[in-house]
Amino acid sequence: MGDYSVVGKSVARVDALEKVTGKAVYCTDIKLPGMLHVKVLRSPYPHAKIISIDASKAAKLSGVKCILTGDDVPSNRYGSVVRDSTILAQGVVRAVGEPVVAVAAETLEAAEEALELIDVKYEPLPAMFNAEEAVSTKPPVVIHPDLFKYEPASSFFKLGKRLDADRPNVVMHFRIRKGDIEKGFEESDLVMENRFQTARIQHCPMELQVSVVEPEPDGSLTLWVSLTMMHPARTEFSRLFNLPVDKVRAVQPYVGGSFGRSSTRSELPIAIAMAMKTGKPIKHVFTREEMYYRAGNRIPFTIDIKDGVKKDGTLIARKMNIILGGGGSAEFTVGLVARNCAFGAAGTYRIPNVKLDSYGVYTNNPIATGFRGLGTPEVTFAIESHMDMLAEKLGIDPVEMRRKNILREGEANITGEITHSIGAQECLSKIIDWLKPAQKPKSEGVWKKGKGLAVTNKYTLAPSTASARVEISREEGIALYHGAEEVGQGCDTVMAQITAEILGVSVEGIKSPPNDTSHTPFDSGAYSSRQTYWSGNAVKLASEDARRQVLEKAGSILGVSPDQLEMKGGLVYVKGKPGSKIELSDLCGKFPDGKIVGNGTMVQEFAAEDPETGQIDPKLAAEGKRLNTSYAHTAKGVEVAVNTETGEVKILRVATADDMGFPLNPKSCEQQAEGGLGMGIGIGLYEEVQLKEGVITNPNFTDYRIPTFYQMPSNENLKVMFAPVPHKDGPFGAKGFSEGALAGMEAAIANAVYNAVGVRIKDIPITAEKVLKALKEKEGKK
Amino acid sequence: MSQKIKFKVNGVMEEVNVEPGWSLAYVLREVLNLMGTKVGCETGNCGTCTVLVDGKAIKSCLFLAVKAKGKEIVTIEGLKGKQGGLHPLQEAFMDHFAVQCGYCTPGMILAAKALLDENPNPTEEDVRRGLSGNLCRCTGYVKIVEAVLAAKEMTGR
Repeated sequence: MGDYSVVGKSVARVDALEKVTGKAVYCTDIKLPGMLHVKVLRSPYPHAKIISIDASKAAKLSGVKCILTGDDVPSNRYGSVVRDSTILAQGVVRAVGEPVVAVAAETLEAAEEALELIDVKYEPLPAMFNAEEAVSTKPPVVIHPDLFKYEPASSFFKLGKRLDADRPNVVMHFRIRKGDIEKGFEESDLVMENRFQTARIQHCPMELQVSVVEPEPDGSLTLWVSLTMMHPARTEFSRLFNLPVDKVRAVQPYVGGSFGRSSTRSELPIAIAMAMKTGKPIKHVFTREEMYYRAGNRIPFTIDIKDGVKKDGTLIARKMNIILGGGGSAEFTVGLVARNCAFGAAGTYRIPNVKLDSYGVYTNNPIATGFRGLGTPEVTFAIESHMDMLAEKLGIDPVEMRRKNILREGEANITGEITHSIGAQECLSKIIDWLKPAQKPKSEGVWKKGKGLAVTNKYTLAPSTASARVEISREEGIALYHGAEEVGQGCDTVMAQITAEILGVSVEGIKSPPNDTSHTPFDSGAYSSRQTYWSGNAVKLASEDARRQVLEKAGSILGVSPDQLEMKGGLVYVKGKPGSKIELSDLCGKFPDGKIVGNGTMVQEFAAEDPETGQIDPKLAAEGKRLNTSYAHTAKGVEVAVNTETGEVKILRVATADDMGFPLNPKSCEQQAEGGLGMGIGIGLYEEVQLKEGVITNPNFTDYRIPTFYQMPSNENLKVMFAPVPHKDGPFGAKGFSEGALAGMEAAIANAVYNAVGVRIKDIPITAEKVLKALKEKEGKK
Repeated sequence: MSQKIKFKVNGVMEEVNVEPGWSLAYVLREVLNLMGTKVGCETGNCGTCTVLVDGKAIKSCLFLAVKAKGKEIVTIEGLKGKQGGLHPLQEAFMDHFAVQCGYCTPGMILAAKALLDENPNPTEEDVRRGLSGNLCRCTGYVKIVEAVLAAKEMTGR
């Protein structure tokens, strides 16, 4: 690690004071004069034709100002990757919860009352909930008959070959083809095949999703978003409403937790349409139940994995067939997660023969979308469970088997990408030292103890864009404008640290105005753990640009060359001669408008994979081009106690070791790692959005439990370790890792449960019921 | 029928016309503009709306505003240290990195305040039990526990 004064230090969070005093503003806190409140009448059917809508009684209700149906709003489509969504249902509903009629009223109560008076007649259509049915070439229901006519919404990739002409509900078919899979199985000493499944999960941020839209007299709009990806959302919605982009301003107050849910922009357009229609400010706050239906869920995965290995544990062949059961519209589901989960399967092990197919499909279930990890934790559950199963069958040490197969620096992974900055071995070593897996814990009575671990990675996707600007003036001091989005992960602090490091000041000396497209430079936003690398590099470039200008100007004044100068504490001085100096604030006057402006844009060329094979062009790979920005690596270790009478699983102790390249703010990194462990325990053991015919039966915190203080082990039994391996292109060697913080937990728990009681649970969550059932089956077999 | 009630909020006597169905959270946020109190579920599960009513931690989304009549309420805006300034819990939450997205923070700090007032010397187990009605999705609770245990030392001084 370099000799730095600000980066790499646990500088206090710049947002903490506002947050502990209740002054931090979230979208839900925005109040505007004359604001109307929105409620939405939603489809009770998973799939139905709308026959008629009668809102005449509701329109007469006192306080009701506007009622919109699909006929009153633009019928063109929008989306995160494929444009398959409409603002309000256009004749057909494809999931329970889909918005059908929206009401704006002077009070929330009036809007709620109005919903009761609206009569919608539906004709139910056959519905399909099973993702395996949906993926077939002859599905019982085709959910979007016009799918092949829809536009792609993203510059990430064109849909074209990602669609599958034979499978009408598949909105993304991603493939990896490497070597010869059948030959690989033939050459293997052991071939094993298993199916793993993961549940639907809700992100459960504490904040409720909110849209606030204010129409301006000149026809422009201001959007307050409790979402990430503010800039791309602004672009997409100005297009949707046929407004020039500069007529739409987006403002992002603090976001009360994201975890990927912000990748659905589900209902902001309703508020926009209402504001345009009424000319009044509009506020739309989701209820917690609406969060479950319309803020997205983690997509349930069905993973068939078939591995071929040599006797010594060398992986020879891996075949994976992955089905992602999305909802009635694609959201991020199929666009990104179905593709990107494959990179989660790519970043850790060397495998010469691979055939991977992942299918993102529509069903008539509520929408599902991106979730912390974008598919990596899910595929890791299958892979890392399987690694233990293979090792056991071969009679070899599962740790050594992993070690043997982990990619080395410079080796090609299963997509042909050249491995760089891989801390997997180091992460694994730290976990082994802590877990001591070879020492079997002593069980007590009905509580049988066991240990488990997993190692995996999380890619940060590419390409991406980020710009930043540093302004130094006598009046305002140093202002840093960046578009990294603070959703709780601490990016505002880290970005300020980077500028502070380069300009030789402390973080307190830097102002970071809230994100607002009227002054914030473009940034793709908070997803795929990308901000550390992309926004961080942009901020570094902008700060270096400002520094260069400062030193050049100061050099010409002091009569020395810029490289003889040092910058510290708002002073520029000649190295070794602190008396020969000039104040930064005095320098400002020598620049146009009294302002030093440093600009930075992070631009990097990436390769695109071949859609038929998922492979990078080997020539480009040899030139150093990559498919992904970077890979964070992680290992998890856990010790559990399993009650053989009830099936209950208790987490006794848990640890993570993470490779984030360079911890720009170690305490902030700990925060991400600890949060990842907590979330992983919930997802591993009990979280599941339960569905019955497309209806969520537990859309609240009473029936859908997330971990409380009680489900976590004591602080003494929770350990976070770092194993950073610097990335050559990361800012100060750093790479994003906060999704990796979650990845691996489910598999580590499953492996520990097996270690404790000898039952292999292949579908998460690992509930007491499942464990007990498996224990009984095992007993029965004896 | 709306009812005029008087109660003290952060040391100031307020008089508010309250509808029978209004929650205290609604009155604090929508009538008195005290936006530091958050709302996360409206079913009493998440605890983001926690405020102090006569010193006890109450989930204000389930507490009818009319019941606040004559009571003394403290919200995050009214939390102060003995010398004014920040309360030790607020300082500890900052120092120990117990804050991430911050949405649960006001409720969490007030729940912790009620806990420390009742039990000035809690163990880690006591803190976990005492705060188990407040949810946080970001932190895994590790640093919140640390902060509350550290604040116990600071308040004891």
